[in-house]
Amino acid sequence: MAYTQTQIGVRSEASLQSLVLRFVKDQFDDYRESTIGAAFLTQTVTLEDQTTVKFEIWDTAGQERYKSLAPMYYRNANCAVVVYDITQTASLEKARSWIRELQRQADPSIVIALCGNKSDLAARRQVTEEEAKKYADEEGLMWCETSAKTGEGVQEIFTAIAKKLPQNAPPSARGGRPGPAARAGVDLNKQASGTPGQNEPCNC
Amino acid sequence: MDVDVVVLGTGLSESITAAALSKAGFSVAHVDANPYYGGDEASLTLDELAAWADSHCTSSDAASPYTRSQRAKFTSISCSSSSLAQSRQYSLSLAPTIIPSAGPLIDALIASGVSRYGGFKLLEKVAIYDGPGSVKAVPGSKEDVFKSKELSLVDKRRLMRFLMFASGDFETTKEIEGKAEIPFVEFLKDAFSLDHRSANAIAYALAFCISPSDPTLPALHRIKQYLRSTGRYGPSPFLVGHYGGLGEIAQGFCRTAAVNGTTYILGRQIASLERPKSDSVDERLKFKIELEDLPEQLTCCLIVASPDYLPSQYLPGTTEARPDDQSTTHSAHAVARCVAIIDQPISFLESQATAIDHSAGENPYVEENESSHAATDIDTALLVFPPGSLPEGSATVSVNVLVAGESSMSTPRGKWALYVSMPLLDNSNRSAEELLRPYLAATLALTVQHSATTIQPLFTLFYVQHADPSSESRPDTSPVIVAPTSSRRLPENADSATIQAEGMFWKAIRMLKASGRRPLQQRGEEESGIEDEVDVDSFWPPLDVVDDPSDDW
Repeated sequence: MAYTQTQIGVRSEASLQSLVLRFVKDQFDDYRESTIGAAFLTQTVTLEDQTTVKFEIWDTAGQERYKSLAPMYYRNANCAVVVYDITQTASLEKARSWIRELQRQADPSIVIALCGNKSDLAARRQVTEEEAKKYADEEGLMWCETSAKTGEGVQEIFTAIAKKLPQNAPPSARGGRPGPAARAGVDLNKQASGTPGQNEPCNC
Repeated sequence: MDVDVVVLGTGLSESITAAALSKAGFSVAHVDANPYYGGDEASLTLDELAAWADSHCTSSDAASPYTRSQRAKFTSISCSSSSLAQSRQYSLSLAPTIIPSAGPLIDALIASGVSRYGGFKLLEKVAIYDGPGSVKAVPGSKEDVFKSKELSLVDKRRLMRFLMFASGDFETTKEIEGKAEIPFVEFLKDAFSLDHRSANAIAYALAFCISPSDPTLPALHRIKQYLRSTGRYGPSPFLVGHYGGLGEIAQGFCRTAAVNGTTYILGRQIASLERPKSDSVDERLKFKIELEDLPEQLTCCLIVASPDYLPSQYLPGTTEARPDDQSTTHSAHAVARCVAIIDQPISFLESQATAIDHSAGENPYVEENESSHAATDIDTALLVFPPGSLPEGSATVSVNVLVAGESSMSTPRGKWALYVSMPLLDNSNRSAEELLRPYLAATLALTVQHSATTIQPLFTLFYVQHADPSSESRPDTSPVIVAPTSSRRLPENADSATIQAEGMFWKAIRMLKASGRRPLQQRGEEESGIEDEVDVDSFWPPLDVVDDPSDDW
């Protein structure tokens, strides 16, 4: 069984992108300029019961910066990962405001994961595990700490999300907003085969 | 923030321009006064649409140029106040459109990679109103004509001959000689001996003529494009965009722009826009833009804008006040619109005499979720009322009704949106509601087989949309590029916005080059002394391989 999942990432102080790159490509780049993102990245996770979950990860590409995230992101998302930086208290505040926004805008069935990144810099920690965990529990969010730099916790959180998704988000039910698999309709990159228009004079 | 270009407004043509400029390597800041994307083409939830209507009705003197311009553009607004459940499940368009499968927009969607962000479905049917409670399907191709059991052989031959003609190189034929400018309906009758009914169907439901005086040559070009579109993605030449269409497509282009580095700032009015005099050569050409509630100032050397955003001195034609100019262009392109929500499906009970075999059953492209409806219930379709088809309607213009249901992702299950559009060619003092009520009623009568009495819509909004001021007189060298009004003809709207975006893009590239701005990736080389003229040579650069996810699908 394969699910295609879309999730959105809200880039906070700590770059979600570095987390995603760690997950998808197992890379980390200290100097990566975070303004220019990839359109979307994909990665497949196979669970113990051989279910595969395909992640289609949309980077928010800076559109969240002035609260200008397009509804398009919310529509197709089964999951959102909101990242804060454990070394900066203010970043958790920002994450909270995004979670409120997601709860308001997105489909109620969306899975929200809160990630405290930069666990490798625990010595400079400003946000305690207890504080973040308590908030996540109150809001019903998944929570973990990760390090995009060392890779700690990254695979685990995406696997945990993958496990949570199938029960939560049937792949193509219209009751919730449909994921990309249910976008169905017409694929502009694939022409109808077998029936070329009868009026196609070959003037190419 | 200093950028090469500030784009004002996130309507389709501005959004395409922003995406193309940022893909070409220029730095862009993209601003919209509204908290949503899409400008006058936005897709809105039901609550947002009602709020939009409210905000365009209220009059207040202390308004920004944008607000003032919007209030002048949208008039005669009447909105039923009742709000419905599941408001967020609606995605209603301010600019309902059908998109030809072969044309500039689809090309741009594919070339830019934006096609993967949005969804589309085939328009199930185009039908023409044929008297109370009855419509007839319009044969959209030679195959349709051929399969028809009801057309006489003579009619078939005439229609076939016309469709062959329209799909070929008609520009040089003897049929068109000296007749390029005559009214299309006359041309059809004269050159192809078509009867009034067939000529009407071709002129209004195939060529989408607005009035009986529409000239022949452009109508033939439109038909040729639509015939070429047939079969590309299925039997219908037209696509309906998911989630309200153009608003969603504009978001897709904005996303591509963002991925390529464009900064997005929504929901802020422009507090000031000026080009201060300065002695410094570098500063002299720069615009300074201040936004409300944003401490940061934007500076740029070029502005691409929807005319709504510009103070009058930047708008063409208004400095040398030509009094008649504004009023004529306004009425020429105004459209009366209605958005109605219903909870019964429309059925196209085709009139016996002209029924054409069009049954959904043998249509291999029908999507699964439609099979639950009876064959004649339709979820997405276009109904055309030629001039004079309703006694209380217009005798001079053609009116379109676009039906969009759940399969277009624009309504929840069991609800349908009806969009009525009527071009206004003369100054009428009748309200949008007075003008459009008869058409709405005639459309609602098509639901009658499901219930004994004619249903009432759950929600209605009527308004008139006037044209933007013309921007033709603008010199090519102006550092303010004003987006022209797109065609309001239903299937032409998206393509014309795309063509205009490409025009604005090339104008911008010329201006940026003239002011010494280069694409970002080339700036390094410039500093190191390599004077390598690398020109931007295409509207869309080739898609990156890593950008292309097609291999995992």
